[in-house]
Amino acid sequence: MGSPLLLAASGQVGGDFFKERTSDTLPCQAKPNEPFCFDWAKENIDRFGTPTVQHLELVVISVLIGFAIAFALALFAHRSTWLQAPLLAVTGILYTIPSIAFFFLLLPVTGIGKDTAIVALAAYTLQIIYRNTMLGLHNVPDSAKEAARGMGYTDRQILWRVELPLAIPEIVAGLRVAIVSTVAIATLAVFIGGGGLGTQIYGGGNLTFPTSVFIALAIVVLMAMAFHLGLLLAQRYLTPWRNARAI
Amino acid sequence: MNEPAASSVRYQEATKRYGNSSTPAVDKLTLEVPAGEICVLVGPSGCGKTTAMRMVNRTVEMTEGDILIGEHSVRDREPAQLRREIGYVIQQIGLFPHRTITENIGAVPQLLGWKKDRIRDRSAELLDLIGLDPELGDRYPAQLSGGQQQRVGVARALAADPLVMLMDEPFGAIDPINRERLQNEFLRLQAEIQKTVLFVTHDIDEAIKMGDRIAVMREGGRVEQYATPAELLMAPANEFVEDFVGADRALKRLALMRVRDINLWEAPLAHVGQASGEVRAKLAASDVEVPFPLLVDGERRPLGWLSERDLAADVVPGRPDSPLGPVLELDDVMRDALADLLQHETQYAPVVDHAGRIAGVLSVEIISEFLASPEAKSEETPAVERPHG
Repeated sequence: MGSPLLLAASGQVGGDFFKERTSDTLPCQAKPNEPFCFDWAKENIDRFGTPTVQHLELVVISVLIGFAIAFALALFAHRSTWLQAPLLAVTGILYTIPSIAFFFLLLPVTGIGKDTAIVALAAYTLQIIYRNTMLGLHNVPDSAKEAARGMGYTDRQILWRVELPLAIPEIVAGLRVAIVSTVAIATLAVFIGGGGLGTQIYGGGNLTFPTSVFIALAIVVLMAMAFHLGLLLAQRYLTPWRNARAI
Repeated sequence: MNEPAASSVRYQEATKRYGNSSTPAVDKLTLEVPAGEICVLVGPSGCGKTTAMRMVNRTVEMTEGDILIGEHSVRDREPAQLRREIGYVIQQIGLFPHRTITENIGAVPQLLGWKKDRIRDRSAELLDLIGLDPELGDRYPAQLSGGQQQRVGVARALAADPLVMLMDEPFGAIDPINRERLQNEFLRLQAEIQKTVLFVTHDIDEAIKMGDRIAVMREGGRVEQYATPAELLMAPANEFVEDFVGADRALKRLALMRVRDINLWEAPLAHVGQASGEVRAKLAASDVEVPFPLLVDGERRPLGWLSERDLAADVVPGRPDSPLGPVLELDDVMRDALADLLQHETQYAPVVDHAGRIAGVLSVEIISEFLASPEAKSEETPAVERPHG
């Protein structure tokens, strides 16, 4: 897996990297069984900056696109119930395609680079966000909708003022799962030249230096946790009625 | 409150047919509800009462005929606009879980584009009207009890001062004790606001209690009788109505009476610190109706019943032996008063006026005598008056 051509095209895992590894400037690097090389980490921490920013960019852009599409699909399906089953099937199929295969399937269309990665990553989020949005809308109590209609809310007002606010917990839960999985899957973007933290893990197809892998993984995990927590806080802020305790 | 604003509601051969069904759900319903009255639509399930009610705000579209609110056909209105002028209360309440109580009450005013200050003032006014603590305004519905939520449901329906109120089994999901309280509160409220109310229930007792007029409906949306509660109980139009009203018609008429409508007994009264001898002398009088002295305070408010043991001391003690038990009010419905007595397994209960001062004593005996009297079986209209104020 991983052709030299792709590796070169990614631009992130230049020849420098391998050169540095083979140089003798740092002692523990030379020992292949050393699990973590602190000296190397100290010297090279800077090299993770750009991949981290790229990774963030991949995640945020794909999830935003995925959310926009899935949310719109959910609203359509909410109105026209016959769309619900086919949409669930289509997004479900997209979700089951193995990531690497998906990347390479897209190559002829979107070419090498981060566009391909974004398209694939966005497609993965559709299923989770779509399904959770539908679930949230489905869970809105009928009595609230009936009361709203009887009081003179138009269909649009019922949707935006009653149903969607009440669906926020499920929608945000979907976003949380989507974003965490996207942070993880985005490490594979390196294979089609999409950059990101994968460059520090696979180095273009083969696992690179363990210390580098550990650091990249730590950043991935921290990023996922930060998104997760951030959305959790956002949800608490957006749904004050759920935190109100019986008095 | 503002001037009471209400409109009459007139069904003119209003018909609802679902699909190609040969039997209509509501068949040529013609009915007039005068402005400011409560009209109860009652009947077994499937009789079309809810459908008939929902045609008014067009949450169900009628197939033929018309309904006029005041002089205006509901058909001429945009449904959403029409509904904003009609209060709507449903059994499941349907408060918005994500909005505070104040925001829930302000829902329709918000749709009508009222200014924020005005909505807030109106919400506060209504919280006061339904007897809820203004502090509850900032709570969410889940933080309120079922009874409180249903009061908020009523307040929300009243927020924009609607011409007509539709109430679909509004107290059906409330426990019996709270239901009775909510019914009474609503009647008191109605005396003040005088809305035209269409009230749907399957419970004939509730219909008799709440309705100025009752339309008894049967399958196919036909009205079998449209009459005042007293007429319905005394002269059922046909067998269906008679069956539906039930065999215990005399008992049901208690629902049409207030405690003040019957001659109450007088209890010997005692004050704290009074010489026990005086009280014993009152008890010994030949015309005494209640064989126990009632301890009252300086304002003649009842404190408790005195027992033999209490009177053993020289002076009347401040803490009577027996608890007071249920205290009734002059405006209580007789049927509820009887239920209170039976529930507390007591023969007597003091009756107080608005200020809480003793007005007499009601006993199970008084009620059973009334039921046995020719008056209870007479064809004359009994005193049916709504409490005022």
